Amino acid sequence: MASTILPLELVDRCIGSPIWVLMKNEREFTGTLMGFDDYVNMVLKDVKEFAVTPEGITETDLGETLLNGNNIAMLVPGGKGPKA
Amino acid sequence: MSSASPQPEEAAAPAGSPSEFLKNIVGKRVKVRIGSGVDYHGLLTCLDGYMNVALEETEEWANGRKTAEYGDCFLRGNNVLYISALEEL
Repeated sequence: MASTILPLELVDRCIGSPIWVLMKNEREFTGTLMGFDDYVNMVLKDVKEFAVTPEGITETDLGETLLNGNNIAMLVPGGKGPKA
Repeated sequence: MSSASPQPEEAAAPAGSPSEFLKNIVGKRVKVRIGSGVDYHGLLTCLDGYMNVALEETEEWANGRKTAEYGDCFLRGNNVLYISALEEL
């Protein structure tokens, strides 16, 4: 039987690496994961924010950012974002 | 930090975690984006575990345009999408 890994353990392994965060709405973030808490609020650095609209994807650069976990839907370790 | 009460201070919070970030960012210039996509750029006076935020010298930016300026501004934490540093921490 394959060894099991808990979801938060997977996120913890990702600290220091790039991560792709997808929100519940049409918005995504990529950046280096600096840390997170029990509510999966996330601290990211070298962040790109992507707003996915019918016209296209708008990209914004942000500095060190605290992302509110309330709206986070999915995390992709090592993910490069919607434009990769 | 969602609808539950804030956690008590941990003895050794891991560096890079949200509580550490919040300690380091007070007094810096930040961009706070709320759920509607409207941004508030200002000097972060204080904040709490609910992500309620108090800003000074605030500019409100909507659709890439400055729409308002406020001397003091209080943002209720449930609306906050992210808090981003506009300067090096």
